[in-house]
Amino acid sequence: MSTIPGQVRLNWQDPVTGEQRTPLLTCPIAFGREFAQMPAELNHQRVARIVLNSSQVSRYHTVIEWVQGHIRVTDQNSSNGTWVNGVLQPSCNVSNGDLLKIGPYEITLMFTLDGTGLPTAEASEQSIIQVPEPDSPVPAAPVAAAPVNVLPPAFQANQVVVQDLYATQLPVEEIDYLAVGAGLGSFIWVNFLRISGAAPQQIRALGIEERPYARYQRLCLNSQIPPHERLRSNSDSCPDNIWGWPGYALREAWHEFNKGKLNPALQYLWQVFAEPTFIQTYTPRAGNVFASIDREAVRIGWPQMYRFGRVRAIRKTNDGRYAIAYSPGRKQTAFVVARHVHLATGYPVLQFLPDLKAYREQTRDFKSVVNAYEDHNHVYETLERQGGTVVLRGRGIVASRIIQRLHEARQRNANISILHLMRSPKPKGNRFRKAQRSVDNHFEFQPFNWPKACWGGTLREELEQATPDQRTNFLADWGGTTTADRQDWKDLVQTGLDQGWYQITFGEVTRVVPNAQSRPTTYIQEKGPRGEIQLEADFIIDATGLDSKVKASPLLNDLVTHYNLPLNPAGRLAVTNDFELLEMRNQNGRMYGAGAITFGGPYAAVDSFLGLQYTALQALDGLVAARAPNLRRLNGISSFLQWLKWAQNKTP
Amino acid sequence: MTPTLLGRWQTRILLMETVGLVITLLFCSGFFGNPEGSGYFWLLQYIVIFGLGWDYLYIQIQNFRWDQDWPAALQWIAALWEGLFIILLSDVAEIKLPGTDVWHLGWFIVHYSFVWIAVFITSQSLMRLIFPRWRFRGGQWL
Repeated sequence: MSTIPGQVRLNWQDPVTGEQRTPLLTCPIAFGREFAQMPAELNHQRVARIVLNSSQVSRYHTVIEWVQGHIRVTDQNSSNGTWVNGVLQPSCNVSNGDLLKIGPYEITLMFTLDGTGLPTAEASEQSIIQVPEPDSPVPAAPVAAAPVNVLPPAFQANQVVVQDLYATQLPVEEIDYLAVGAGLGSFIWVNFLRISGAAPQQIRALGIEERPYARYQRLCLNSQIPPHERLRSNSDSCPDNIWGWPGYALREAWHEFNKGKLNPALQYLWQVFAEPTFIQTYTPRAGNVFASIDREAVRIGWPQMYRFGRVRAIRKTNDGRYAIAYSPGRKQTAFVVARHVHLATGYPVLQFLPDLKAYREQTRDFKSVVNAYEDHNHVYETLERQGGTVVLRGRGIVASRIIQRLHEARQRNANISILHLMRSPKPKGNRFRKAQRSVDNHFEFQPFNWPKACWGGTLREELEQATPDQRTNFLADWGGTTTADRQDWKDLVQTGLDQGWYQITFGEVTRVVPNAQSRPTTYIQEKGPRGEIQLEADFIIDATGLDSKVKASPLLNDLVTHYNLPLNPAGRLAVTNDFELLEMRNQNGRMYGAGAITFGGPYAAVDSFLGLQYTALQALDGLVAARAPNLRRLNGISSFLQWLKWAQNKTP
Repeated sequence: MTPTLLGRWQTRILLMETVGLVITLLFCSGFFGNPEGSGYFWLLQYIVIFGLGWDYLYIQIQNFRWDQDWPAALQWIAALWEGLFIILLSDVAEIKLPGTDVWHLGWFIVHYSFVWIAVFITSQSLMRLIFPRWRFRGGQWL
């Protein structure tokens, strides 16, 4: 295919959402923070204007032009400059495959000067797969069968009449509080309801897994975090204990102390005392986290409140409540009518790199090319048996776990090598005002997925007070892929590099195709004379992440479309500072959101344990203000008395 | 915890004037076998007032940290400095802080350590239980 001279394919990963962006544009192309500050026309040619959200980007930062047979990049006196292949450049000609760095954005430029054509790029929007679900959904059918997929006509209305639901002869239940999702977000909200006075009979949690952490646990296991390994979480971010005291470190130290092991006990205490400045951050073991949630679930009566159900649609009712249609089993439909609803449905889909998804669709080979969040134990088993090469994509926390797991596999078979494919080098970390993130071997380090002050400190406050556009700026500056700063892991990577079984390669993938032996071969565009090179591998592991765009979830998409709900700049549900979906307010009825589906709003760390607690507390205070049934505001005395009950494992 | 400036101020005033005050009153009455007097009370007030200024400085230092956090270790270093500052004023510069006529270095160290450790332990435990929103709001309890 041919291209018009001056046509450039840009390719970057959005630092806020992690999405791959690949627009094909014709020069001149302008980059800046504010659309209106960039020229609409240059030399009588229309300008393609790209808005990059970051405080490190100037309002009109850089322009790319087609000048006398060359593509030329010219900085527009920006405060932080334009970097081409790691060099600060006021103005220069660029070649195919060059890397443009503007603030936290790293943009690869792909073009041909002779019009011979560019490889097509697949939009990453469609490049997703479903989050793995449990193998065998539980329930036997307790109610009369009705055709699934067909919602009653009453559900077409904007306001459902409750009598119409009863008229369908399908089961209807009326309740005060309903948690949709029944995962960790729901669990924490329900926990807050319980300690604030609501009884189990007033609460339902609808979801497809009995244990609130089941889905999270599966993603952990798939991404190589078995029970004895540590999560990337803080000691006092406990889903089982809303006060965060005693945190996991104190509990673990107490446990070790009781076993007569003084050294590990002191080490945990020293870690929570001095992290992350003098020692690496303490993180809890996955198994301990799940065990403590099990204990708390029994205490608050989760088994009585949980109902199996695939939630299908949500509507307002004409009496100030919400009607929820769900499937309690195959080909069944039932309804819940609830006064207050909490949505915490988690990540709807896994993000898949477009070229890898294309490979799987063409070859139907689901074994050689895998997503890190899918079950891919066969990769390690095969490698341990016969050795081989793995190409790893992505450099976040999951990629770090995969490297560690491959290192363990190497203990059984030294004939395993890792080729880590990164889009660009990372010589320096993100900057935000006076602070800079640390970098080592092209990995950026941060104890958790956001700077720590995003949870309760200054950054949380700033984000809450910011406008939607400013919020996107902040998130771009604080975000990006990072991994935990663990010394043992850093040593492992350094050893791998020294011994040669771990290598890092930079380049833009042009295509992934099977070779004669049906092994996936990656073609990448390198800068300089080598041009296109190919990487052969036995396996490719995509560790680029999860996707929480609400449009990817049929349930949320239906809700957004039906009620014309606003989305925030990150494409997630727009919520108020106390996490209410304001447009869904229905007389006394209130609907709240939590978790990944609210990302891009007033709180950065929405999908973390502590973030879910914060969100639930905000929502709860909103409900108390709205005089929701049986709820009392958690004050000093009630909070302390409830903590005593928690400590003694008594029902709230 | 990652405090905000307002959070630092609120927490400092609350804990010093409750937990810190109880211990200070014991010192004022000579409970620990120390010379009694209101000097301990006034010293506590100076620690609070100077502390409001120190807190402003700490927030500026926090801005240089990527995580903008303030681990317990830094809290301790800050506490050491704040105590040392009073000692420098009273013992080295020999500036007489009003109300602290009978300055005694040894008993000041004991008093200051008791107050500070009690405040630290309370902030790490009881504060979280009584003020469930405290840790999410950078130390603001109001």
